[in-house]
Amino acid sequence: MKKIFFIFIISLIYSYKLLAQSYTISGYVQEESNGESLIGVSVYPNSTNKGKGTSTNQYGFYSLTLEKGDHEIIYSFIGLESITKKVNLQNNLEINVSLKESNTLLKEINITEDGLDKNVEKSNMSQVKLKIKNVKSIPAILGEIDVLKTAQLLPGISSGGEGNSGLYVRGGGPDQNLVLLDEAIVYNAAHLFGFFSVFNADAIKDINIIKGGMPAEFGGRLSSVLDITMKDGNNKNFQVDGGIGLLSSRMTLQGPIQKDKSSFIISGRRTYVDVLSKPFLNRKDPETGEANPFAESGYYFYDLTTKLNYRISNKDRLFLSGYFGRDVFNFSDNESGFGVQIPWGNATTSLRWNHLFNNKLFMNSSLIFTDYRFEFQIKQSDFQFNIFSGINDWNQKTDFLYIPNQKHEIKFGTNFTYHIFTPGNATGRAGEVEFASDSIFRQKSNEAAIYISDDFELNDNIKINAGLRYSSFQHSGNINPFEFIKNELNLDTSNHYRHIEPRISIRHKLNTSSSIKASFSQNYQYVHLASTGSLSLPTDLWIPSSKVIKPKFSNQYASGYFRNFKDNMYETSVEVYYKEMNNLIEYKEGILPEDNTNTSSDNSFTFGDGESYGVELLIRKNSGKSTGWIGYTWSKTTQLFEDINSGNPYPAKYDRRHDLSATLNYQLAESWMLSGVFVYATGNALTIPTERYVINGEIYTQFNERNSFRMIPYHRMDIGFTYDPINQKKFNSSWNFSIYNLYNRKNPYFIYLDVVNSNDDVSGSIQEGNITPKAYQVSIFPILPSITWNFSF
Amino acid sequence: MKNKLLYLLIISTFFSCREEINLELPTGEEKLVIEGKIEPGFPPYVFITKSQGYFEEIDSNTFSDLFVTGADVWVYKRDAILGIIDSLKLEEFDLSNLLAEESFTPPIYTNFTNFNPSFSQPGYTYKLSVVWNDYNINATTTIPNITPLDSVFVRQTEDTTDSYKRCEIRAIYTDPDSSGNNILIMSRRSEHWIIDEDQYPDIINDFDERLLLIDCGPDVLINNSTFETFFPRPSNNGGFPNGTYRTGGMKIFIDSITNEKDSIFLPNDVVILKFCQVDKSTMQFYRDVVRNTNAGGNPFSEPSNMVSNIEGGLGIWAGFGAVYYKVPVIIDTVILDKTEFEFPNDIFNIL
Repeated sequence: MKKIFFIFIISLIYSYKLLAQSYTISGYVQEESNGESLIGVSVYPNSTNKGKGTSTNQYGFYSLTLEKGDHEIIYSFIGLESITKKVNLQNNLEINVSLKESNTLLKEINITEDGLDKNVEKSNMSQVKLKIKNVKSIPAILGEIDVLKTAQLLPGISSGGEGNSGLYVRGGGPDQNLVLLDEAIVYNAAHLFGFFSVFNADAIKDINIIKGGMPAEFGGRLSSVLDITMKDGNNKNFQVDGGIGLLSSRMTLQGPIQKDKSSFIISGRRTYVDVLSKPFLNRKDPETGEANPFAESGYYFYDLTTKLNYRISNKDRLFLSGYFGRDVFNFSDNESGFGVQIPWGNATTSLRWNHLFNNKLFMNSSLIFTDYRFEFQIKQSDFQFNIFSGINDWNQKTDFLYIPNQKHEIKFGTNFTYHIFTPGNATGRAGEVEFASDSIFRQKSNEAAIYISDDFELNDNIKINAGLRYSSFQHSGNINPFEFIKNELNLDTSNHYRHIEPRISIRHKLNTSSSIKASFSQNYQYVHLASTGSLSLPTDLWIPSSKVIKPKFSNQYASGYFRNFKDNMYETSVEVYYKEMNNLIEYKEGILPEDNTNTSSDNSFTFGDGESYGVELLIRKNSGKSTGWIGYTWSKTTQLFEDINSGNPYPAKYDRRHDLSATLNYQLAESWMLSGVFVYATGNALTIPTERYVINGEIYTQFNERNSFRMIPYHRMDIGFTYDPINQKKFNSSWNFSIYNLYNRKNPYFIYLDVVNSNDDVSGSIQEGNITPKAYQVSIFPILPSITWNFSF
Repeated sequence: MKNKLLYLLIISTFFSCREEINLELPTGEEKLVIEGKIEPGFPPYVFITKSQGYFEEIDSNTFSDLFVTGADVWVYKRDAILGIIDSLKLEEFDLSNLLAEESFTPPIYTNFTNFNPSFSQPGYTYKLSVVWNDYNINATTTIPNITPLDSVFVRQTEDTTDSYKRCEIRAIYTDPDSSGNNILIMSRRSEHWIIDEDQYPDIINDFDERLLLIDCGPDVLINNSTFETFFPRPSNNGGFPNGTYRTGGMKIFIDSITNEKDSIFLPNDVVILKFCQVDKSTMQFYRDVVRNTNAGGNPFSEPSNMVSNIEGGLGIWAGFGAVYYKVPVIIDTVILDKTEFEFPNDIFNIL
């Protein structure tokens, strides 16, 4: 580490020496048709190869320092027409560029968001950018486009099971993913108990997935970053997009508030199963004339995404973005007086300010609010019980990007979060008597980080991204920013955890189309998701680290070989990784979440370690009439908890030995596109009882080895056709026809055990002295055709 | 309950299909299973059985083989300061001598002959020791101090219009000003008069054969509160259904011979209510029983074994700080005093 630091300093000093003979070109790149800033546009001088250039950041900003003299600067982005600017560089220049859709490439599919050979050139590894257009072309359950389910098709990322949108990255659990929507943390990214993600694809511009070698600007999670950027809104013309599907409908409005200066986007969707079923639920019994007692029952989810942006000047820009989503489940039986209502959801707001200090130094400062809440209300007769939990974050972060010259890209910044956890508060009512604690139990904490990283070229072949992140977490004492700073200055350890997290990625270029890379990252995670179920459910609790609950941490080592063929038409990579995870958290056996109502849940947990290792292979065809990728992962993930499985190691519930995904997009004709997906995965690990015993005439089961049983392998094929007529004028519309689970594979959703009697049709009982235990597999999605109509004007 | 609802929702929302599968599972090691209880004024009693492989079938023969006979069973009474102050050897006892109707009556370990009611008292700890073949089982429980209900009363349900005038049993309870007063509630319909389907218009008493568990839990939310609650009639295997009780009333039926409507008067239900304070491990075990009954094998819950306080085995050795109320289900009846059950006359009321 010391050696790398030394190289970094020498390199920086050397680069300043260059500075005297150089000037900087900087500016923003946007798409001409709608003014959306473009992320990841390659900007490079023609005089050198493209590896010597730079690319636009998350806000479309670039900075390129070149020697004095004549240059041809090329701006290139796949799917858009490249342009070349001739400059005579005698002083610093500001050049803003608009790229337009290429006529020749208009109908050619490209699936990479990165520039040519960027996967070989860049120092970072284990990162993937997904193009939203490609996400939209992949067939989906009931036509619901899903960012997270597309991410699951990448090597190293697996799903929690049939239809589940949870991400399990390189053996990590769902709470180990940092899911960001315009920089705001989304704590529960799923609707409908995990079947659909909360992200409305119509409002998304960019998806960046980091599954290893996490750069220093990200932290607070062990396994991955899913960084989602929302569209800014069309600042040229007013635009309406929408779609009508089987499950939900959606609409997006966007347009300029002040042309080329400010714009807005607002996008919403809602499911309507509850609305469509209402007439049936409201129908009276034809024989008795009685109203249906379940008429008030139903389920729906909705979400609303908005964003405003305002260009104050060439140096300053403001963004205000927000997300609000809710799932609401009602069950009501008017006859018995029994009712349940379960609302839950996320809300996020981000106010961001981009400021350009000069053409080398860019800043983004954000004020972010995140809210996740879950409520459970149950009533029976005149008794009522409510339990609610949630988390609120107030987050201020400031990130700087400093590009002194072509060889260095330095990032540094700070991040401070004030967390308020409500881990499980309950109130009740029996007749007139209210049961409630005097005050709502809340746990507060401060989390902060500072970081610095440099992405620098040591020589023509070696590029290093080295960074350090210092993180600190105050879990008790007087929780406020001033106390936090005071404790930091005193290095008070009584209420704090502090850690330094080194991150490094090294690329060694073998030739213009191949490289080898290696990375190491250490990550600390101070907030934890306590789950009682085998799936990630909204009932799960977010809890902070405390004196008892230590932060979890991981060390991840990875290396890989990257090679492109045929001018980047084919990208291939092989990565191997090893990840160790410590201080993982699980509920103790026999503990129920309600045990900790209105109090800390510190004593409910047991702690252990995990390890995961694997090989990931990716072959991707980026351009041409047919595009797509094949991803394969071989991996093994085990966990070891002293209080679980008699202290013996056991497979993690998301352990998958084999995971294969293949996607295909094929342009059948000018207006018709075929898309397909095939997935194969080793069956889920689960715990099955090995013994049973009888107490008071009832049968109970005894589990011995955790996760020792495997379901049958999961595999499935989906296809979709998109009809998008060309030469549409003002009103554009397209149709998507898709078939999920084409060959009607009965994939197991879960397995359950039951006992039957001699008639084999009802549950047996011990009193009858005649029972036969049986095992059943439940599958939920058979072959499922769907149709979606999308429009835009 | 929560997870079960989610599970029901998911299954009903989508297009589920179910099929039987064959699982080849290893069989675990055979363990002894203890179901032992002790409460004030009555001798402790223990059932001892063996666990078996999950997929082994049960018929009437294999069921009786599950019960362990010939075990050496002792209960030791321990004072917090003085240590062990008394002991009682439990003998194998054949209940079928007393319960003529049962086809198979499991052997029970108890002691009716040398038992002194002062042996089982609130505030003491009781250690159970079981030795059988190579098994050596120990468990400890406490009989907590008793906190009775303030009052019990019967109220007609608001939405009932039928001739039975269905009622629910309600109570007022004051939880002590100290945490950890775990509560366990059981009930038994000792009288439930129904029309004999085969021999109209005879009526028969279709009573519950044993006390059934209603609910069990900690006093986290109700600590130090006085409130009104109600005790629904449990289902046959325990649990928390919205059951009500029947008061006396006219029952109309179709006479099978004349094919005409006829009616008959059915007397009231009579209910025995058992209200207990239990220690933490007993509460956790019986809460698991409730959870198992309600969840019914919820596939989304992380599988976990029943909490047990038996060292070297499975099951429960439970001390109950119990009081009983005998409740005739007559509208607006109010009961302020507990029912005194005494050994040996009321022994079968507490089993």
